[in-house]
Amino acid sequence: MNNFSAALWAETLKMRRSKVPFFSALGFSMAPLGGGLFMIILKDPEAAQAMGLISTKAQLMIGVADWPAYLGFLLQAVAAGGLILFSILTTWVFGREFSDHTVKELLALPTMRETIVTAKFIVIGVWSVGVTLLVFCISLIVGYLIVLPGWSTELLGASFLGMLGCALLTLGLIPFVALLASMGRGYMPPFGWTILTMILAQFIVIMGWGDRFPWAIPGLFSGAAGPRAEVLGTHSYIILLITFLIGLAATYWWWRDADQTR
Amino acid sequence: MTYFAIETNCLTKRFGDVTAVDVVDLRVGMGEIYGFLGLNGAGKTTTIRALLGMIYPSAGNVKVLGQAVGPHGRGPWARVGHLVEHPSVYPELSLWENLDVARRLHGIVNENATETVIEKLNLNEYASRKAGRLSTGNLQRLGLARVLLHEPELLILDEPTNGLDPAGVVEIRELLRSLVQERGVTIFMSSHILTEVDRLATRIGIIHHGQLIEELDTAKLEKMRARRLEVRSHYRAGVLISLESAGYKPAVEGDTVFLEEPYAIEHPDQIAQILVNAGAPPIHLAVQQQDLEEHFMQLTGGSQAREKGQ
Repeated sequence: MNNFSAALWAETLKMRRSKVPFFSALGFSMAPLGGGLFMIILKDPEAAQAMGLISTKAQLMIGVADWPAYLGFLLQAVAAGGLILFSILTTWVFGREFSDHTVKELLALPTMRETIVTAKFIVIGVWSVGVTLLVFCISLIVGYLIVLPGWSTELLGASFLGMLGCALLTLGLIPFVALLASMGRGYMPPFGWTILTMILAQFIVIMGWGDRFPWAIPGLFSGAAGPRAEVLGTHSYIILLITFLIGLAATYWWWRDADQTR
Repeated sequence: MTYFAIETNCLTKRFGDVTAVDVVDLRVGMGEIYGFLGLNGAGKTTTIRALLGMIYPSAGNVKVLGQAVGPHGRGPWARVGHLVEHPSVYPELSLWENLDVARRLHGIVNENATETVIEKLNLNEYASRKAGRLSTGNLQRLGLARVLLHEPELLILDEPTNGLDPAGVVEIRELLRSLVQERGVTIFMSSHILTEVDRLATRIGIIHHGQLIEELDTAKLEKMRARRLEVRSHYRAGVLISLESAGYKPAVEGDTVFLEEPYAIEHPDQIAQILVNAGAPPIHLAVQQQDLEEHFMQLTGGSQAREKGQ
Protein backbone atom coordinates (compact mmCIF):
# COMPACT_ATOMS: atom_id res chain seq x y z
CA MET A 1 0.00 0.00 0.00
CA ASN A 2 1.57 3.29 -1.04
CA ASN A 3 1.26 6.53 0.92
CA PHE A 4 -1.65 7.85 -1.09
CA SER A 5 -3.78 4.74 -0.78
CA ALA A 6 -2.91 4.63 2.95
CA ALA A 7 -4.13 8.21 3.37
CA LEU A 8 -7.26 7.48 1.36
CA TRP A 9 -7.91 4.35 3.40
CA ALA A 10 -7.49 6.31 6.65
CA GLU A 11 -9.86 9.08 5.57
CA THR A 12 -12.44 6.56 4.39
CA LEU A 13 -12.24 4.68 7.70
CA LYS A 14 -12.75 7.91 9.67
CA MET A 15 -15.73 8.72 7.46
CA ARG A 16 -17.23 5.26 7.85
CA ARG A 17 -16.90 5.25 11.61
CA SER A 18 -18.33 8.73 12.13
CA LYS A 19 -22.00 9.61 12.42
CA VAL A 20 -21.56 13.02 10.74
CA PRO A 21 -21.45 11.81 7.09
CA PHE A 22 -24.27 9.33 7.71
CA PHE A 23 -26.65 11.81 9.30
CA SER A 24 -25.88 14.57 6.79
CA ALA A 25 -26.57 12.10 3.94
CA LEU A 26 -29.78 11.09 5.68
CA GLY A 27 -30.76 14.76 5.99
CA PHE A 28 -30.05 15.38 2.31
CA SER A 29 -32.15 12.34 1.38
CA MET A 30 -35.16 14.08 2.90
CA ALA A 31 -35.28 16.50 -0.07
CA PRO A 32 -36.93 14.04 -2.52
CA LEU A 33 -39.32 12.92 0.20
CA GLY A 34 -40.28 16.57 0.89
CA GLY A 35 -40.64 17.20 -2.84
CA GLY A 36 -42.79 14.06 -3.13
CA LEU A 37 -45.03 15.33 -0.34
CA PHE A 38 -45.52 18.63 -2.19
CA MET A 39 -46.41 16.67 -5.33
CA ILE A 40 -49.04 14.65 -3.46
CA ILE A 41 -50.53 17.90 -2.17
CA LEU A 42 -50.53 19.46 -5.64
CA LYS A 43 -52.08 16.42 -7.24
CA ASP A 44 -55.11 16.62 -5.00
CA PRO A 45 -55.19 20.01 -3.23
CA GLU A 46 -58.68 19.55 -1.79
CA ALA A 47 -57.88 16.25 -0.18
CA ALA A 48 -54.59 17.69 1.08
CA GLN A 49 -56.39 20.73 2.56
CA ALA A 50 -58.91 18.42 4.23
CA MET A 51 -55.94 16.54 5.74
CA GLY A 52 -54.59 19.86 7.10
CA LEU A 53 -51.67 20.08 4.66
CA ILE A 54 -50.71 23.51 3.29
CA SER A 55 -51.51 23.31 -0.40
CA THR A 56 -51.06 27.04 -1.16
CA LYS A 57 -47.43 27.01 -0.09
CA ALA A 58 -46.79 23.88 -2.13
CA GLN A 59 -48.35 25.51 -5.20
CA LEU A 60 -46.27 28.62 -4.71
CA MET A 61 -43.08 26.64 -4.39
CA ILE A 62 -43.49 24.14 -7.18
CA GLY A 63 -46.54 24.98 -9.30
CA VAL A 64 -47.84 21.86 -10.96
CA ALA A 65 -47.48 18.23 -10.02
CA ASP A 66 -45.41 16.61 -12.76
CA TRP A 67 -41.93 15.22 -13.33
CA PRO A 68 -40.37 18.47 -14.70
CA ALA A 69 -41.61 20.49 -11.70
CA TYR A 70 -40.56 17.81 -9.24
CA LEU A 71 -37.05 17.38 -10.64
CA GLY A 72 -36.66 21.17 -11.02
CA PHE A 73 -37.49 21.60 -7.35
CA LEU A 74 -34.95 18.93 -6.41
CA LEU A 75 -32.27 20.60 -8.52
CA GLN A 76 -32.74 23.80 -6.53
CA ALA A 77 -32.71 21.78 -3.30
CA VAL A 78 -29.37 20.25 -4.34
CA ALA A 79 -27.95 23.73 -5.02
CA ALA A 80 -29.01 25.24 -1.69
CA GLY A 81 -28.83 22.12 0.49
CA GLY A 82 -25.69 20.92 -1.25
CA LEU A 83 -23.70 23.97 -0.28
CA ILE A 84 -24.75 23.57 3.34
CA LEU A 85 -24.23 19.80 3.49
CA PHE A 86 -20.99 19.69 1.55
CA SER A 87 -19.72 22.50 3.79
CA ILE A 88 -20.71 20.60 6.92
CA LEU A 89 -18.85 17.54 5.71
CA THR A 90 -15.77 19.54 4.68
CA THR A 91 -15.80 21.37 7.99
CA TRP A 92 -15.90 18.05 9.78
CA VAL A 93 -13.22 16.36 7.64
CA PHE A 94 -10.73 19.21 8.07
CA GLY A 95 -11.91 20.91 11.27
CA ARG A 96 -12.03 17.74 13.36
CA GLU A 97 -8.26 17.29 13.01
CA PHE A 98 -7.81 20.61 14.81
CA SER A 99 -10.71 20.25 17.20
CA ASP A 100 -9.51 16.77 18.29
CA HIS A 101 -5.85 17.93 18.06
CA THR A 102 -5.13 14.95 15.79
CA VAL A 103 -3.50 17.23 13.23
CA LYS A 104 -0.18 16.98 15.09
CA GLU A 105 -0.17 13.25 14.38
CA LEU A 106 -0.39 13.99 10.65
CA LEU A 107 2.41 16.52 10.30
CA ALA A 108 5.57 14.51 10.87
CA LEU A 109 4.88 11.38 8.86
CA PRO A 110 6.48 9.70 5.85
CA THR A 111 3.12 10.36 4.17
CA MET A 112 3.33 13.94 2.95
CA ARG A 113 0.84 16.50 4.19
CA GLU A 114 -0.24 17.25 0.61
CA THR A 115 -1.13 13.57 0.19
CA ILE A 116 -3.32 13.70 3.29
CA VAL A 117 -5.07 16.87 2.07
CA THR A 118 -5.64 15.28 -1.36
CA ALA A 119 -7.14 12.19 0.28
CA LYS A 120 -9.46 14.42 2.31
CA PHE A 121 -10.65 16.30 -0.78
CA ILE A 122 -11.21 13.05 -2.68
CA VAL A 123 -13.26 11.56 0.14
CA ILE A 124 -15.35 14.75 0.31
CA GLY A 125 -15.84 14.75 -3.46
CA VAL A 126 -16.80 11.09 -3.67
CA TRP A 127 -19.19 11.39 -0.71
CA SER A 128 -20.82 14.53 -2.15
CA VAL A 129 -21.31 13.07 -5.62
CA GLY A 130 -22.48 9.79 -4.07
CA VAL A 131 -25.08 11.53 -1.92
CA THR A 132 -26.26 13.55 -4.93
CA LEU A 133 -26.70 10.31 -6.89
CA LEU A 134 -28.53 8.81 -3.92
CA VAL A 135 -30.88 11.80 -3.86
CA PHE A 136 -31.46 11.40 -7.60
CA CYS A 137 -32.27 7.69 -7.21
CA ILE A 138 -34.64 8.35 -4.29
CA SER A 139 -36.30 11.06 -6.43
CA LEU A 140 -36.97 8.54 -9.18
CA ILE A 141 -38.42 6.02 -6.75
CA VAL A 142 -40.63 8.65 -5.02
CA GLY A 143 -41.79 10.09 -8.38
CA TYR A 144 -42.60 6.60 -9.64
CA LEU A 145 -44.53 5.70 -6.47
CA ILE A 146 -46.68 8.83 -6.55
CA VAL A 147 -47.32 8.32 -10.30
CA LEU A 148 -46.29 11.73 -11.62
CA PRO A 149 -47.12 12.64 -15.22
CA GLY A 150 -44.69 14.10 -17.80
CA TRP A 151 -41.95 11.45 -17.72
CA SER A 152 -39.42 11.23 -20.57
CA THR A 153 -35.93 9.82 -20.96
CA GLU A 154 -34.72 13.25 -22.19
CA LEU A 155 -35.97 14.79 -18.97
CA LEU A 156 -34.28 12.05 -16.98
CA GLY A 157 -30.95 12.67 -18.73
CA ALA A 158 -31.18 16.45 -18.42
CA SER A 159 -32.13 16.26 -14.74
CA PHE A 160 -29.33 13.80 -14.02
CA LEU A 161 -26.74 16.01 -15.69
CA GLY A 162 -28.22 19.12 -14.05
CA MET A 163 -28.05 17.62 -10.57
CA LEU A 164 -24.55 16.28 -11.11
CA GLY A 165 -23.42 19.62 -12.59
CA CYS A 166 -24.92 21.48 -9.68
CA ALA A 167 -23.11 19.19 -7.21
CA LEU A 168 -19.80 19.65 -9.05
CA LEU A 169 -20.19 23.44 -9.16
CA THR A 170 -20.94 23.44 -5.43
CA LEU A 171 -17.84 21.30 -4.84
CA GLY A 172 -15.85 24.08 -6.51
CA LEU A 173 -16.60 26.25 -3.49
CA ILE A 174 -15.51 23.64 -0.95
CA PRO A 175 -11.72 24.34 -0.83
CA PHE A 176 -12.36 27.71 0.83
CA VAL A 177 -14.39 25.93 3.52
CA ALA A 178 -11.47 23.51 4.01
CA LEU A 179 -9.07 26.46 4.20
CA LEU A 180 -11.20 28.25 6.79
CA ALA A 181 -11.54 25.03 8.85
CA SER A 182 -7.74 24.65 8.77
CA MET A 183 -6.84 28.28 9.42
CA GLY A 184 -9.59 28.69 12.00
CA ARG A 185 -8.54 25.35 13.57
CA GLY A 186 -12.05 24.09 14.12
CA TYR A 187 -15.68 24.24 13.16
CA MET A 188 -16.97 27.76 13.71
CA PRO A 189 -15.01 29.81 11.10
CA PRO A 190 -16.08 27.60 8.14
CA PHE A 191 -19.70 27.56 9.35
CA GLY A 192 -19.63 31.35 9.59
CA TRP A 193 -18.04 31.54 6.14
CA THR A 194 -20.73 29.33 4.58
CA ILE A 195 -23.54 31.41 6.06
CA LEU A 196 -21.83 34.66 5.03
CA THR A 197 -21.35 33.53 1.42
CA MET A 198 -24.96 32.30 1.18
CA ILE A 199 -26.28 35.66 2.41
CA LEU A 200 -23.93 37.60 0.13
CA ALA A 201 -25.00 35.45 -2.83
CA GLN A 202 -28.64 36.45 -2.24
CA PHE A 203 -27.81 40.16 -2.29
CA ILE A 204 -25.45 39.94 -5.25
CA VAL A 205 -27.99 38.01 -7.34
CA ILE A 206 -30.61 40.70 -6.59
CA MET A 207 -28.09 43.34 -7.72
CA GLY A 208 -27.63 41.43 -10.98
CA TRP A 209 -24.00 40.41 -10.52
CA GLY A 210 -24.66 36.78 -9.61
CA ASP A 211 -22.98 35.47 -12.75
CA ARG A 212 -19.67 36.88 -11.49
CA PHE A 213 -19.96 35.85 -7.84
CA PRO A 214 -18.75 32.25 -7.38
CA TRP A 215 -20.99 31.53 -4.42
CA ALA A 216 -24.11 32.47 -6.43
CA ILE A 217 -23.28 30.36 -9.49
CA PRO A 218 -24.54 26.90 -8.33
CA GLY A 219 -27.86 28.50 -7.29
CA LEU A 220 -28.22 30.25 -10.64
CA PHE A 221 -27.25 27.04 -12.43
CA SER A 222 -30.08 25.24 -10.63
CA GLY A 223 -32.55 27.70 -12.10
CA ALA A 224 -33.44 29.27 -8.77
CA ALA A 225 -33.42 32.72 -10.39
CA GLY A 226 -34.79 31.78 -13.79
CA PRO A 227 -33.52 29.73 -16.73
CA ARG A 228 -29.75 29.31 -16.31
CA ALA A 229 -28.87 30.02 -19.96
CA GLU A 230 -30.07 33.61 -19.54
CA VAL A 231 -27.92 34.27 -16.49
CA LEU A 232 -24.69 32.29 -16.61
CA GLY A 233 -21.98 32.53 -19.23
CA THR A 234 -18.62 30.87 -19.85
CA HIS A 235 -17.04 33.59 -17.71
CA SER A 236 -19.12 32.34 -14.73
CA TYR A 237 -17.65 28.86 -14.97
CA ILE A 238 -14.14 30.27 -15.40
CA ILE A 239 -14.59 32.41 -12.29
CA LEU A 240 -15.78 29.37 -10.35
CA LEU A 241 -12.85 27.31 -11.61
CA ILE A 242 -10.39 30.02 -10.57
CA THR A 243 -12.05 30.22 -7.14
CA PHE A 244 -11.71 26.45 -6.82
CA LEU A 245 -8.03 26.49 -7.79
CA ILE A 246 -7.19 29.40 -5.47
CA GLY A 247 -8.95 27.69 -2.56
CA LEU A 248 -7.19 24.43 -3.31
CA ALA A 249 -3.74 26.04 -3.60
CA ALA A 250 -4.26 28.05 -0.42
CA THR A 251 -5.31 24.94 1.53
CA TYR A 252 -2.27 22.99 0.34
CA TRP A 253 -0.03 25.93 1.11
CA TRP A 254 -1.45 26.32 4.58
CA TRP A 255 -1.02 22.64 5.46
CA ARG A 256 2.54 22.59 4.15
CA ASP A 257 3.93 25.97 5.18
CA ALA A 258 1.95 27.45 8.05
CA ASP A 259 2.99 27.05 11.68
CA GLN A 260 0.94 24.38 13.40
CA THR A 261 0.82 25.43 17.00
CA ARG A 262 -2.02 23.17 18.17
CA MET B 1 28.45 9.25 7.88
CA THR B 2 28.20 10.57 11.42
CA TYR B 3 25.62 13.08 12.45
CA PHE B 4 23.73 14.19 15.50
CA ALA B 5 20.31 12.75 16.19
CA ILE B 6 19.20 16.32 16.80
CA GLU B 7 21.06 19.48 15.86
CA THR B 8 19.79 23.03 16.07
CA ASN B 9 21.81 26.05 15.13
CA CYS B 10 20.69 29.37 16.63
CA LEU B 11 17.10 28.11 16.65
CA THR B 12 14.83 31.08 17.23
CA LYS B 13 11.07 31.26 17.07
CA ARG B 14 9.10 34.46 17.48
CA PHE B 15 5.33 34.83 17.66
CA GLY B 16 4.80 38.52 17.06
CA ASP B 17 6.66 40.34 19.83
CA VAL B 18 7.10 37.20 21.90
CA THR B 19 10.33 35.24 21.48
CA ALA B 20 9.35 31.71 22.46
CA VAL B 21 12.73 30.14 21.61
CA ASP B 22 15.81 32.33 21.67
CA VAL B 23 18.99 31.23 19.86
CA VAL B 24 19.02 27.63 21.05
CA ASP B 25 21.92 25.40 20.01
CA LEU B 26 21.18 21.77 20.72
CA ARG B 27 23.32 18.75 19.92
CA VAL B 28 21.94 15.36 20.84
CA GLY B 29 24.15 12.44 19.94
CA MET B 30 22.94 9.05 18.75
CA GLY B 31 22.00 6.72 21.62
CA GLU B 32 21.63 9.52 24.17
CA ILE B 33 18.67 10.07 26.47
CA TYR B 34 18.34 13.82 26.57
CA GLY B 35 16.08 15.31 29.22
CA PHE B 36 14.65 18.69 28.29
CA LEU B 37 13.46 20.68 31.27
CA GLY B 38 11.75 24.01 31.68
CA LEU B 39 8.91 25.73 33.45
CA ASN B 40 5.54 26.12 31.74
CA GLY B 41 5.97 28.55 28.86
CA ALA B 42 9.76 28.21 28.87
CA GLY B 43 9.80 27.11 25.23
CA LYS B 44 9.93 23.30 25.51
CA THR B 45 6.94 22.48 23.33
CA THR B 46 7.81 25.18 20.79
CA THR B 47 11.29 23.67 20.48
CA ILE B 48 9.83 20.17 20.10
CA ARG B 49 7.39 21.39 17.44
CA ALA B 50 10.28 23.03 15.59
CA LEU B 51 12.24 19.75 15.74
CA LEU B 52 9.26 17.99 14.17
CA GLY B 53 8.71 20.59 11.46
CA MET B 54 5.32 21.58 12.87
CA ILE B 55 6.48 25.17 13.14
CA TYR B 56 9.27 26.79 11.19
CA PRO B 57 12.09 28.78 12.79
CA SER B 58 12.11 32.57 12.57
CA ALA B 59 15.89 32.20 12.46
CA GLY B 60 18.39 29.36 12.63
CA ASN B 61 17.90 25.83 11.45
CA VAL B 62 17.04 22.34 12.58
CA LYS B 63 18.47 18.99 11.54
CA VAL B 64 17.03 15.69 12.66
CA LEU B 65 18.97 12.49 11.97
CA GLY B 66 21.16 14.51 9.65
CA GLN B 67 18.28 15.79 7.51
CA ALA B 68 17.23 19.43 7.39
CA VAL B 69 13.69 19.97 8.63
CA GLY B 70 11.68 22.35 6.48
CA PRO B 71 8.50 22.78 4.50
CA HIS B 72 9.92 21.38 1.28
CA GLY B 73 11.41 18.13 2.48
CA ARG B 74 9.88 14.85 3.52
CA GLY B 75 12.00 14.84 6.64
CA PRO B 76 13.32 11.76 8.36
CA TRP B 77 9.89 10.96 9.81
CA ALA B 78 9.94 7.25 8.99
CA ARG B 79 12.79 7.02 11.54
CA VAL B 80 11.28 9.30 14.19
CA GLY B 81 8.53 8.62 16.72
CA HIS B 82 6.94 11.57 18.44
CA LEU B 83 4.49 12.36 21.18
CA VAL B 84 3.68 16.05 21.53
CA GLU B 85 1.80 17.13 24.65
CA HIS B 86 -1.11 14.75 25.26
CA PRO B 87 -1.79 11.94 22.77
CA SER B 88 -4.55 12.80 20.32
CA VAL B 89 -6.77 10.07 18.95
CA TYR B 90 -9.77 9.58 16.71
CA PRO B 91 -12.40 8.88 19.36
CA GLU B 92 -14.77 7.04 17.00
CA LEU B 93 -12.07 4.54 16.01
CA SER B 94 -11.03 1.64 18.21
CA LEU B 95 -7.58 1.55 19.78
CA TRP B 96 -6.56 -1.04 17.17
CA GLU B 97 -7.89 1.10 14.30
CA ASN B 98 -6.08 4.19 15.59
CA LEU B 99 -2.84 2.25 15.55
CA ASP B 100 -3.57 0.72 12.16
CA VAL B 101 -4.17 4.18 10.68
CA ALA B 102 -0.75 5.21 12.03
CA ARG B 103 0.81 1.98 10.73
CA ARG B 104 -0.42 2.59 7.21
CA LEU B 105 0.50 6.28 7.21
CA HIS B 106 4.00 5.25 8.30
CA GLY B 107 4.10 2.92 5.32
CA ILE B 108 4.60 -0.21 7.44
CA VAL B 109 3.68 -3.22 5.33
CA ASN B 110 3.85 -5.77 8.15
CA GLU B 111 0.26 -6.03 9.39
CA ASN B 112 1.41 -7.74 12.60
CA ALA B 113 3.16 -4.54 13.70
CA THR B 114 -0.09 -3.29 15.23
CA GLU B 115 -0.61 -6.44 17.31
CA THR B 116 3.04 -6.49 18.36
CA VAL B 117 2.98 -2.97 19.75
CA ILE B 118 -0.40 -3.54 21.43
CA GLU B 119 1.15 -6.49 23.22
CA LYS B 120 4.30 -4.56 24.12
CA LEU B 121 2.25 -1.82 25.79
CA ASN B 122 -0.11 -4.30 27.51
CA LEU B 123 -3.13 -2.94 25.68
CA ASN B 124 -4.62 -6.26 24.49
CA GLU B 125 -7.81 -6.06 26.52
CA TYR B 126 -8.57 -2.57 25.19
CA ALA B 127 -7.73 -3.22 21.52
CA SER B 128 -11.36 -3.19 20.35
CA ARG B 129 -12.47 -0.39 22.67
CA LYS B 130 -13.23 2.97 21.09
CA ALA B 131 -10.39 5.37 21.79
CA GLY B 132 -12.87 7.96 23.09
CA ARG B 133 -13.69 5.59 25.95
CA LEU B 134 -10.13 4.92 27.11
CA SER B 135 -8.82 6.14 30.45
CA THR B 136 -6.15 8.87 30.49
CA GLY B 137 -3.47 6.30 31.31
CA ASN B 138 -4.48 3.99 28.46
CA LEU B 139 -4.66 6.94 26.08
CA GLN B 140 -1.08 7.72 27.04
CA ARG B 141 -0.15 4.09 26.37
CA LEU B 142 -1.90 4.31 23.01
CA GLY B 143 0.13 7.43 22.25
CA LEU B 144 3.34 5.62 23.16
CA ALA B 145 2.28 2.57 21.14
CA ARG B 146 1.88 4.85 18.12
CA VAL B 147 5.34 6.27 18.77
CA LEU B 148 6.93 2.81 18.86
CA LEU B 149 4.89 1.25 16.05
CA HIS B 150 7.47 1.81 13.31
CA GLU B 151 10.50 1.00 15.50
CA PRO B 152 12.03 4.47 15.19
CA GLU B 153 15.66 5.36 15.79
CA LEU B 154 14.76 8.60 17.53
CA LEU B 155 11.95 9.28 19.98
CA ILE B 156 10.86 12.86 20.63
CA LEU B 157 8.60 12.74 23.65
CA ASP B 158 6.81 15.57 25.38
CA GLU B 159 5.73 14.45 28.86
CA PRO B 160 5.69 10.71 28.04
CA THR B 161 4.51 9.57 31.46
CA ASN B 162 1.64 12.04 31.76
CA GLY B 163 -1.48 10.45 33.22
CA LEU B 164 0.17 7.15 34.08
CA ASP B 165 -0.10 5.62 37.55
CA PRO B 166 3.17 4.97 39.45
CA ALA B 167 3.37 1.39 38.15
CA GLY B 168 2.81 2.66 34.62
CA VAL B 169 5.55 5.28 35.05
CA VAL B 170 8.02 2.58 36.11
CA GLU B 171 6.92 0.32 33.26
CA ILE B 172 7.39 3.04 30.64
CA ARG B 173 10.73 4.04 32.12
CA GLU B 174 11.94 0.44 31.84
CA LEU B 175 10.56 0.21 28.31
CA LEU B 176 12.40 3.36 27.23
CA ARG B 177 15.58 2.20 28.93
CA SER B 178 15.39 -1.17 27.19
CA LEU B 179 14.91 0.56 23.82
CA VAL B 180 18.15 2.45 24.38
CA GLN B 181 20.05 -0.57 25.62
CA GLU B 182 18.78 -3.13 23.11
CA ARG B 183 18.28 -1.06 19.99
CA GLY B 184 20.40 2.01 20.58
CA VAL B 185 17.38 4.30 20.25
CA THR B 186 17.94 8.00 20.95
CA ILE B 187 15.42 9.70 23.21
CA PHE B 188 14.73 13.42 23.51
CA MET B 189 12.18 13.91 26.23
CA SER B 190 10.66 16.71 28.18
CA SER B 191 8.94 16.09 31.47
CA HIS B 192 7.80 18.02 34.47
CA ILE B 193 8.54 14.97 36.65
CA LEU B 194 12.16 15.85 37.34
CA THR B 195 12.93 12.67 39.26
CA GLU B 196 11.82 10.74 36.19
CA VAL B 197 14.15 12.68 33.92
CA ASP B 198 16.93 12.38 36.46
CA ARG B 199 16.54 8.58 36.52
CA LEU B 200 16.53 8.19 32.76
CA ALA B 201 18.56 10.95 31.16
CA THR B 202 22.21 10.75 30.24
CA ARG B 203 22.20 14.48 29.56
CA ILE B 204 19.88 17.27 30.59
CA GLY B 205 19.18 20.66 29.04
CA ILE B 206 17.37 23.38 30.93
CA ILE B 207 15.45 25.98 28.97
CA HIS B 208 14.26 29.18 30.57
CA HIS B 209 12.56 32.14 28.89
CA GLY B 210 13.34 30.49 25.55
CA GLN B 211 17.08 30.19 26.23
CA LEU B 212 19.05 27.03 26.90
CA ILE B 213 20.60 28.16 30.15
CA GLU B 214 22.41 24.99 31.18
CA GLU B 215 23.33 21.56 29.96
CA LEU B 216 24.30 18.88 32.42
CA ASP B 217 26.37 16.12 30.89
CA THR B 218 26.91 12.65 32.33
CA ALA B 219 29.83 13.76 34.53
CA LYS B 220 27.92 16.70 35.98
CA LEU B 221 24.86 14.57 36.53
CA GLU B 222 26.87 11.87 38.24
CA LYS B 223 28.48 14.45 40.47
CA MET B 224 25.08 15.85 41.29
CA ARG B 225 23.64 12.43 41.92
CA ALA B 226 26.67 11.35 44.05
CA ARG B 227 26.01 11.10 47.76
CA ARG B 228 28.36 12.66 50.31
CA LEU B 229 28.59 12.94 54.04
CA GLU B 230 28.08 16.42 55.39
CA VAL B 231 29.82 17.24 58.67
CA ARG B 232 29.62 20.39 60.80
CA SER B 233 31.33 20.97 64.08
CA HIS B 234 32.33 23.89 66.30
CA TYR B 235 35.92 22.73 65.79
CA ARG B 236 36.39 22.57 62.02
CA ALA B 237 40.20 22.42 62.19
CA GLY B 238 39.98 19.43 64.53
CA VAL B 239 37.54 17.74 62.17
CA LEU B 240 39.89 18.14 59.21
CA ILE B 241 42.98 16.93 61.09
CA SER B 242 41.25 13.90 62.59
CA LEU B 243 39.63 12.85 59.30
CA GLU B 244 42.86 13.28 57.34
CA SER B 245 44.79 11.25 59.89
CA ALA B 246 42.10 8.54 59.62
CA GLY B 247 42.84 8.34 55.86
CA TYR B 248 39.90 10.35 54.51
CA LYS B 249 40.06 13.26 52.06
CA PRO B 250 37.70 15.89 53.44
CA ALA B 251 36.54 18.80 51.23
CA VAL B 252 35.46 22.13 52.65
CA GLU B 253 32.58 24.31 51.46
CA GLY B 254 31.93 27.25 53.78
CA ASP B 255 31.61 25.95 57.31
CA THR B 256 30.79 22.44 56.15
CA VAL B 257 33.15 19.54 55.61
CA PHE B 258 32.25 16.88 53.04
CA LEU B 259 33.39 13.28 52.70
CA GLU B 260 32.82 11.42 49.44
CA GLU B 261 34.34 8.07 50.42
CA PRO B 262 31.71 5.29 50.18
CA TYR B 263 32.80 3.82 53.54
CA ALA B 264 32.18 7.16 55.28
CA ILE B 265 28.75 7.49 53.62
CA GLU B 266 27.76 3.95 54.64
CA HIS B 267 29.14 4.27 58.21
CA PRO B 268 28.49 7.79 59.56
CA ASP B 269 28.54 6.35 63.10
CA GLN B 270 32.24 5.49 62.69
CA ILE B 271 32.96 9.05 61.51
CA ALA B 272 31.12 10.42 64.54
CA GLN B 273 33.24 8.16 66.77
CA ILE B 274 36.48 9.48 65.18
CA LEU B 275 35.37 13.08 65.70
CA VAL B 276 34.28 12.53 69.30
CA ASN B 277 37.59 10.79 70.09
CA ALA B 278 39.47 13.74 68.53
CA GLY B 279 37.59 16.22 70.70
CA ALA B 280 35.67 17.72 67.78
CA PRO B 281 32.17 16.25 68.19
CA PRO B 282 29.83 16.86 65.21
CA ILE B 283 26.81 19.12 65.58
CA HIS B 284 25.50 18.02 62.18
CA LEU B 285 26.12 14.76 60.38
CA ALA B 286 24.01 13.84 57.35
CA VAL B 287 24.22 11.99 54.07
CA GLN B 288 23.43 14.48 51.36
CA GLN B 289 22.48 13.95 47.75
CA GLN B 290 21.99 16.95 45.55
CA ASP B 291 18.64 16.93 43.90
CA LEU B 292 17.93 17.83 40.27
CA GLU B 293 14.71 19.47 41.34
CA GLU B 294 16.60 21.68 43.80
CA HIS B 295 19.16 22.56 41.15
CA PHE B 296 16.44 23.27 38.60
CA MET B 297 14.52 25.50 41.00
CA GLN B 298 17.65 27.46 41.85
CA LEU B 299 18.45 27.92 38.22
CA THR B 300 15.03 28.95 37.01
CA GLY B 301 13.69 30.64 40.13
CA GLY B 302 10.82 28.19 39.79
CA SER B 303 9.24 28.78 43.16
CA GLN B 304 9.38 32.55 42.71
CA ALA B 305 7.85 32.22 39.26
CA ARG B 306 5.02 30.19 40.70
CA GLU B 307 4.44 32.71 43.49
CA LYS B 308 4.13 35.39 40.84
CA GLY B 309 1.51 33.22 39.14
CA GLN B 310 3.56 32.44 36.04
